[in-house]
Amino acid sequence: MKKEDTVKLISAEGFEFVIDKEAAMVSQTIRNMLTSPGSFAETQHGEVTFPEISTTILEKICQYFYWSLQYARGKETEFHIEPELTLELMMAANYLHT
Amino acid sequence: MSAPKKRTFQIEAFKHRVVVDPKYAEKTWKILEHAIHEIYNHNASGLSFEELYRNAYNMVLHKFGEKLYSGLVMTMTFHLKEICKSIEASQGGLFLEELNRKWADHNKALQMIRDILMYMDRTFIPSAHKTPVHELGLNLWRDVVIHSSKIQTRLQDTLLELVRRERSGEVINRGLMRNITKMLMDLGSCVYQDDFEKHFLEVSADFYRLESQEFIESCDCGEYLRKAERRLNEEMERVSHYLDPRSEAKITNVVEKEMIESHMQRLVHMENSGLVNMLVDDKYEDLKRMYCLFRRIPNGLVLIIDVMTSYIRDTGKHLVTDPEKLKDPVDFVQRLLDLKDKHDKIINLAFSNDKTFQNALNSSFEYFININSRSPEFISLFVDDKLRKGLRGVSEEEVELVLDKVMMLFRYLQEKDVFEKYYKQHLAKRLLSGKTVSDDAERSLIVKLKTECGYQFTSKLEGMFTDMKTSQDTMQGFYASLGAELGDGPTLAVQVLTTGSWPTQPNATCNLPAEILGICEKFRSYYLGTHTGRRLSWQTNMGTADLKATFGKGQKHELNVSTYQMCVLMLFNNADRLGYKEIEQATEIPTSDLKRCLQSLACVKGKNVLRKEPMSKDIAEDDAFVFNDKFTSKFFKVKIGTVVAQRESEPENQETRQRVEEDRKPQIEAAIVRIMKSRRVLDHNNIVAEVTKQLQSRFLPNPVVIKKRIESLIEREFLERDKVDRKMYRYLA
Repeated sequence: MKKEDTVKLISAEGFEFVIDKEAAMVSQTIRNMLTSPGSFAETQHGEVTFPEISTTILEKICQYFYWSLQYARGKETEFHIEPELTLELMMAANYLHT
Repeated sequence: MSAPKKRTFQIEAFKHRVVVDPKYAEKTWKILEHAIHEIYNHNASGLSFEELYRNAYNMVLHKFGEKLYSGLVMTMTFHLKEICKSIEASQGGLFLEELNRKWADHNKALQMIRDILMYMDRTFIPSAHKTPVHELGLNLWRDVVIHSSKIQTRLQDTLLELVRRERSGEVINRGLMRNITKMLMDLGSCVYQDDFEKHFLEVSADFYRLESQEFIESCDCGEYLRKAERRLNEEMERVSHYLDPRSEAKITNVVEKEMIESHMQRLVHMENSGLVNMLVDDKYEDLKRMYCLFRRIPNGLVLIIDVMTSYIRDTGKHLVTDPEKLKDPVDFVQRLLDLKDKHDKIINLAFSNDKTFQNALNSSFEYFININSRSPEFISLFVDDKLRKGLRGVSEEEVELVLDKVMMLFRYLQEKDVFEKYYKQHLAKRLLSGKTVSDDAERSLIVKLKTECGYQFTSKLEGMFTDMKTSQDTMQGFYASLGAELGDGPTLAVQVLTTGSWPTQPNATCNLPAEILGICEKFRSYYLGTHTGRRLSWQTNMGTADLKATFGKGQKHELNVSTYQMCVLMLFNNADRLGYKEIEQATEIPTSDLKRCLQSLACVKGKNVLRKEPMSKDIAEDDAFVFNDKFTSKFFKVKIGTVVAQRESEPENQETRQRVEEDRKPQIEAAIVRIMKSRRVLDHNNIVAEVTKQLQSRFLPNPVVIKKRIESLIEREFLERDKVDRKMYRYLA
């Protein structure tokens, strides 16, 4: 994978997730971060740190990104969410505008 | 839990999260404010989007949205004021460039600010009914920068000055202009309109008013139109390059009004170069330009049509009433056709075949062709000329072309029945003398007449053709059955004509020579033998004969003469010298015909087989005629034409008119009866109107004549007047 096509998402604990830009852009917030005309630090380095999102949640979010892409392409499967993650996941979704 | 899927979740504020730091809001705002400053100072590269977004997000979540929003307004206003100062300070020509650059900067900054404040845009602004960030940025730019007292008028003036300079031929920076007008449009269409377009249109109107005044004094019509067209194109080009497309209609309207509409009358009537001159000189380019420009103006084309119509009417009227031009009917019709061709071409090339122009042309022709009551006769003569000799050696397509043109003139005629009358006469002469060039052309014309006027109109003409064909068959039969009996006497070719189909004149018989009389009688008995119950009468005034003659030195010639001339010449087989009276007595040819025929035998140079004593041009009652022994000719066959009046003389014309009037009477009566039969009761005016309508394909009946016919029908008890209302007529079955 080319570096330009990927983006590194870093959780509160410092855990790094490298995923496709395309997948990351499912989030409106991340999309803006990466496409805003001014050269913000995120655009320059291709990595975004989320000090308020835990690793578990960020992992789930990344899974969701890929699931969402597939869903949009017509593959209708269920996305399983563990009940204990629900609240935190929703807060993150609001934040990421997903 | 009855409908779990429809339930919408409301995310409650984070009640468990307590704001620890009371100065939290102030601190967070400082970070954001700093970031906005940095963005405006082109220093954004070090900033973390996530951090800023998170701060804005948290401020909104913690109900500091209002503070965030007002802070944003303040900070942005501050920066715009700075920008404003720097633009104001820019010198002369750099003003627009500076404005443009700052606008681009502001736009970019605005984009970034909107991105980091996205969460506020999404949640706080709709619920607090505030203006979204992007729009807020544009509004502030408009209020603070564009509408600042020092910039507003300067901007207008600069833009208008640039347009003025471009109009006078200078090259300006169109890209910059486009950016600036685009900015005004982005700020809202009313900003563009109020701050630029309105003034632009006013200034343009003034400019063109002055310029057109100057042009009209110094240019001729064609040149003026060229200039106006160029200006119009320039304006359209200007719009496409750097103005709002919606301005196009407005600015072209200004140009049209100032440059064309206000000077329309003057242009059209301009001396030596106006519309009439263009028409005369076939200035297709100029006419086309005038058409294209005037089409933009309401009533513009009407003006052109009016002037063109009156011009064509005048020319046409002059043509049809000029006694000089009436001398040669063929030339007269050719002139009409040329006139039509000329204007057809103009309408085709310059007026894009506009229907209204064609209609105007047609109505003009209809108007002036019918001014001259001899037009139908002349058109028929023209056809006669063409079908006799004019079409020899011409291809079929060209024949069709000529015939189509004639039909077009025919359509303009109101008195189509008069044409029919003459056409019949001319056709009869052509058929009987075997002069017609092409049978196909004759038939093609009849088909055209039929499609134009219906079966009735041509049935008699077609009857004439049938007669010719049957006569041929009859003659073949005659010679087949009697050929042996006839020996080597004169050969006879009879054309049996149906009475009614042919324009026969009252029977003017003459005494045929004995040799001819014999064979004529044989034919009569043969014909009546095969067709019982018919009557044959000889139309000696219409026939021709071929004679073999031997002259003084033994040279032989074949003379092609008319039946009358044949009768006269046959007398000279038994005598060398005859007086006029003697000839008249022997032949019993009507006086006028005899004179004409003697004239052609004795007075035409090169064809004078008779000598007249005394020599003079006219035939007198006491003249004597001698067989001309010394007659010579280069040709073996000599055709002796009768001196014929090609076009009708005045009394003949009168006579034909009278016949036409007579023929119309039964047609009008028939029309009245037809109408009354279906209507039963109708008032006078309506009858006249309906009769006119029914008959207009043939002729235009005179209301006075219609009235007379009605009276005649009342006398004969077809109709009666209503007892109460004397204007009403009643049909009596």
